[in-house]
Amino acid sequence: MATLNEKKTCSERMENFRRFVWNPETKLFMGRSLINWVWISLYYLAFYVVMSGLFALSIYSLMRTINPYEPDYQDQLKSPGVTLRPDVYGERGLQIYYNISDNKTWEGLVTTLHTFLTEYTPAAQHLNINCTSDTYFIQDTFDGPNKTKLACKFTSDMLQNCSGITDPTFGFPEGTPCFIIKMNRIIKFFPGNGTAPRVDCTYVGDEPHPLEVDYYPVNGTFNLHYFPYYGKKAQPSYSNPLVAVKFLNITRNVELKIVCKIIGAGITYNVHDPYEGKVEFKLKIED
Amino acid sequence: MEALTKKKKKTVPTSANSFFLLQKSEVYSVEIYGTKELEKTEAGGGDEKYKDIKGKKKKKAEELKKELDLEDHKLSASELEGKYGTNINKGLSSARAAELLARDGLNSLTPPKATPEIVKFLKQMVGGFSILLWVGAVFSWISSGIQIAQGADSPFDNLYLGVVLALVVILTGIFAYYQEAKSTNIMASFSKMVPQQALVIRDGEKKELPAEQLVVGDIVEIKGGDRIPADIRLIAAQGCKVDNSSLTGESEPQPRSCEFTHDNPLETRNIAFYSTTCVEGTATGVVINTGDRTVIGRIASLASGVGNEKTPIAIEIEHFVYLVAGVAVSIGVLFFIISVSMRYKILDSIIFLIGIIVANVPEGLLATVTVSLSLTAKRMAKKNCLVKNLEAVETLGSTSIICSDKTGTLTQNRMTVAHLWFDNQIYSADTSEDQTTQPFDQSSPTWTALSKIVALCNRAEFRPGQEGIPIMKRVVVGDASETALLKFSEVLLGDVMSIRAQNKKVAEIPFNSTNKFQLSIHETDDANDKCYLLVMKGAPERILERCSTIMINGKEEPLDSEKAEAFQTAYMELGGMGERVLGFCHLYLPENEFPDTYSFDTDAMNFPTSNLCFVGLLSMIDPPRSTVPDAVSKCRSAGIKVIMVTGDHPITAKAIARSVGIISATSETVEDIAKRLNIPVERVNRREATAAVVNGMELKDMSLQELDEILCNHSEIVFARTSPQQKLIIVEGCQRQGAVVAVTGDGVNDSPALKKADIGIAMGIAGSDAAKNAADMVLLDDNFASIVTGVEEGRLIFDNLKKTIAYTLTKNIAELCPFLIYIIASIPLPIGTITILFIDLGTDIIPSVALAYEKAESDIMNRRPRNKQKDRLVNQQLAVYSYLQIGIMQSVGAFVTYFTVYAEQGFLPLTLLGVRVDWENSAINDFEDSYGQQWTKYQRTYLQWTGYTAFFVSITIQQVADLIIRKTRRNSIFQQGLFRNKVIWVGIFSQIGIALILTYGLGHVTALNFTPLRFQYWFVAVPFAVLIWVYDEVRKLLIRRYPGSWWDKNMYY
Repeated sequence: MATLNEKKTCSERMENFRRFVWNPETKLFMGRSLINWVWISLYYLAFYVVMSGLFALSIYSLMRTINPYEPDYQDQLKSPGVTLRPDVYGERGLQIYYNISDNKTWEGLVTTLHTFLTEYTPAAQHLNINCTSDTYFIQDTFDGPNKTKLACKFTSDMLQNCSGITDPTFGFPEGTPCFIIKMNRIIKFFPGNGTAPRVDCTYVGDEPHPLEVDYYPVNGTFNLHYFPYYGKKAQPSYSNPLVAVKFLNITRNVELKIVCKIIGAGITYNVHDPYEGKVEFKLKIED
Repeated sequence: MEALTKKKKKTVPTSANSFFLLQKSEVYSVEIYGTKELEKTEAGGGDEKYKDIKGKKKKKAEELKKELDLEDHKLSASELEGKYGTNINKGLSSARAAELLARDGLNSLTPPKATPEIVKFLKQMVGGFSILLWVGAVFSWISSGIQIAQGADSPFDNLYLGVVLALVVILTGIFAYYQEAKSTNIMASFSKMVPQQALVIRDGEKKELPAEQLVVGDIVEIKGGDRIPADIRLIAAQGCKVDNSSLTGESEPQPRSCEFTHDNPLETRNIAFYSTTCVEGTATGVVINTGDRTVIGRIASLASGVGNEKTPIAIEIEHFVYLVAGVAVSIGVLFFIISVSMRYKILDSIIFLIGIIVANVPEGLLATVTVSLSLTAKRMAKKNCLVKNLEAVETLGSTSIICSDKTGTLTQNRMTVAHLWFDNQIYSADTSEDQTTQPFDQSSPTWTALSKIVALCNRAEFRPGQEGIPIMKRVVVGDASETALLKFSEVLLGDVMSIRAQNKKVAEIPFNSTNKFQLSIHETDDANDKCYLLVMKGAPERILERCSTIMINGKEEPLDSEKAEAFQTAYMELGGMGERVLGFCHLYLPENEFPDTYSFDTDAMNFPTSNLCFVGLLSMIDPPRSTVPDAVSKCRSAGIKVIMVTGDHPITAKAIARSVGIISATSETVEDIAKRLNIPVERVNRREATAAVVNGMELKDMSLQELDEILCNHSEIVFARTSPQQKLIIVEGCQRQGAVVAVTGDGVNDSPALKKADIGIAMGIAGSDAAKNAADMVLLDDNFASIVTGVEEGRLIFDNLKKTIAYTLTKNIAELCPFLIYIIASIPLPIGTITILFIDLGTDIIPSVALAYEKAESDIMNRRPRNKQKDRLVNQQLAVYSYLQIGIMQSVGAFVTYFTVYAEQGFLPLTLLGVRVDWENSAINDFEDSYGQQWTKYQRTYLQWTGYTAFFVSITIQQVADLIIRKTRRNSIFQQGLFRNKVIWVGIFSQIGIALILTYGLGHVTALNFTPLRFQYWFVAVPFAVLIWVYDEVRKLLIRRYPGSWWDKNMYY
């Protein structure tokens, strides 16, 4: 065993390693002759080329089976996610804190809203059509230009007091801030089963006064003619319908927990997912 | 070196037996100077090595002087009294004894400094891959700490991961610790040998005391059946005999008296040694050494002092751990640097590092190896090889030299009549284990006379009540030769006891070493013939001296020089075969001189003991076991050198070696060549002789270089007349040649050699407890052939472990690639760390154990033992083929599944590239997919888990193919048989079963990151699994077709 237990010194190890890298007697570079290295490299090159080819072939045939208009499965998208604007995330989810008297604390929030609404200007929406029907806008054919489907217009003025047009500060300095609720797009999702889903905001937990909210559009509904969504390829100019909420009686200097749920058949809530079918956030207005 | 030899000569008395002592003291110095010394000598190479040994020898010589100071055996009783301050009649006073006890300590062997259990346990916790996993766990905790401090939304994921990693380490550590705890402590059996009580004279009274209370100077009494309580100088003895076999290996009881008979304390009769047994008689003696200072105490501390060598498989596993750890650390660090330079946050980079480490470390492998080894150990136990140390299973397989005892291992361990000489002719007798008749010609009247002498001139008797048992298996009271003769005549003549009864014995002189004959006088069974028959047997030359006639074909003829010559030739021939030869003669006493009233007086010898009639010779040998020649030739074809080490006479040793094939028929020793060419031994070219018989006496005078030369130049070696201590020298010599040495042994004094050997094999039947404890393996039937079956199993497990490791390593790449691609291409993480652990410690465990049941691909006993330096368990080809070919194929298959799942759920492959930061941002809850749909963070995470599950499933599916291809390394699967190893199928079903349970049973437990997967995703990787199988079949085909080619060299692992 003696031979195997030999403790080599560092310099010996280095020397051994150097000999391994280049052995001048046998002319071996890292244990192989140069020609051997060429062969082995060629073999591996060929091997990897073939493997890459196989991979590319697999992906290509995968893409061939994929429907470009809608995904094969929507296993995770049973119910839409809900998002809030402005969205400021703190330690535990959304936290909107600001001070009325310090306009630096809310100017950012207002800008977020303005930026968000730029997609809803009449100019941005010019490709979409005006819809008036209060039923699902079902299109079995491609009626739009370039083999697309039509999408209904949603412009920011529909949000009235919260559109940023009449009140460019969205009520933030007054302590009656506007928030915009957006429902995530899901292809061929029919929310509400014929009745328009609506937004309902309440306090989480017990608060002395019930929350007073103004909803825009009226009743805080998402009109059914925005549904169903046919996907990016079919409806390239589609934009989500929005609901704006304006809180009217926020107690100052208190952190309040508010939840805005979308109520309608087919919209479910998931214990693991804080943003499915509803959005929860903390609000604190100081003065 | 010269100075040394001089010194040695000065100090060593020329007596033959002093070598025993020299050996011993040399050996002791190993213990005294500690293992550091040993390492130092081993560390040096070439000349330096010898220089070191020279230095060591000098110290040994000094030690020797000390050793020779033991002179108590030369002292008279009164001198002893003076030296130890005791009184032979009254003993020590209690007060004095207490004083001495306080000074010398208890009379017991100190157990070796045991490593505390907790330390052993902790060692398991940090050995092997554990360190890497600990690093991973600590990193997890650190990053979780940072995340908590930063207030991230899921800081506990990493905390859990750290806990899981720590759990994995602790569980595998407990498993390994449990395995180690099973190996027994050598000291246990030494302490078992310590007598419990001793009869001591103190204060003039006899007292029964616990033996550990004994002190130097105590007067103790021992009687038959006792164990000697300490080293004792006898001062009175009546018919005392001791069994020193536990000390010297000699099984013959040694007489003990109070006379000083030999300079050497180990040889003299008036010293009895601690832990040996008093067989018969009684004795009284003075205690001269107690506890660790006794001879056995020194051997005991020596046995635990000889460093236990690392087993070859331990070295291989270490090598493998280094290799994998090296890969893990270098890839980890490389990608840490890459990710930092790609502007990932340090924290993220650390998390990547953890993933890479976990993916690279085969967590379950070491446990799998242990299980495989213990399965083989069980299989070997069925074939009479009991393995104590699991790793020894494989060591046996890599054995290149077996140093075997002769008696009992190669031979049947009983004397048997092998040849007869009468009527000027040599007859052979059957020596097999179960003889019932003898084939030689029994018609001659000389044989009738001879058989009568054999039956009558014999004191051995069968123990009563064994009528049903075959003659060869019956228990006999009597010495070995007499037993052989008794059984021989019982087979040929029938009931010997009744023959003896018919020929009543009237006088007898038992054998003694001065007469060298045994004589008895019988009445004859012939009622008409009133004369007495005098029968005699003994050393042939002594018997012949007393004869004047010789019986030829039943007639007495004068013994002339021609007939004496014939006798000499026959005697030499039988002696030359290594057999113990006995001469037989008889004389019918004339009736007129010796009437039936005559009273024979054996002291006065009032009857003739010369001018007898010589009848014949019988020769006996301990014949080889019938299975041994076959086993030896198997060893030969397996490239294993068998060296016989025996205490027997060189001629006997050589004869047995020849008959079992250790020395093959065609090879010659130097002496043989000299004889054939009729030249002096010195002039023979030593290189021409392939065989060598080395006498222990020669060995003693040899330098290490000379020994190395012998071991190197001769392929067939017999060491005769060796003391068991020389075994250690021989073992070390073999190990210097780089051989893996297996050694058999049975005595206590074999334990250093057994410990030193790469694999010590103790005899299950004849072996002492100490030998069994020092050994790694116990041969339950003492049969050499069992060693060979063990070798076969050992070689098989080495091959199978290769397969297991290749199987296990392959998927590491499929686990590692996801992290690398994740870092570089910023795709959502394809497989999670926890999921990897489920593969490594879940689905893969049973299949990798199942490979241990694989049958050999070809005759593994037809190739040479593996070269420790070159034939590694994990060689470059194995690693490269597993990592860079099959592993890559698996990764491709798994990635195709991954992309399929994501694409069918809405994320096309191109969309996935570069999304990592947004994907993992929990502030983005309207993340858009390729179809314009929007996903919350949780929905994405759930999809990611589905991806993990899909990746996991496809690795599992491809591992099934990997398992099948690993069944063979060279043969086609169809040659090997797809269904021959049923356990593989258990493995495959368990693998898929576990995957099904994880996916569908636990798919809703979010903490495990499994989701119920759509069923079709199980089949995405199937084409790749088939591809793996086909590719490997092609590889094997080309290897078989073009042996020695570039392909064979690069693709065969």
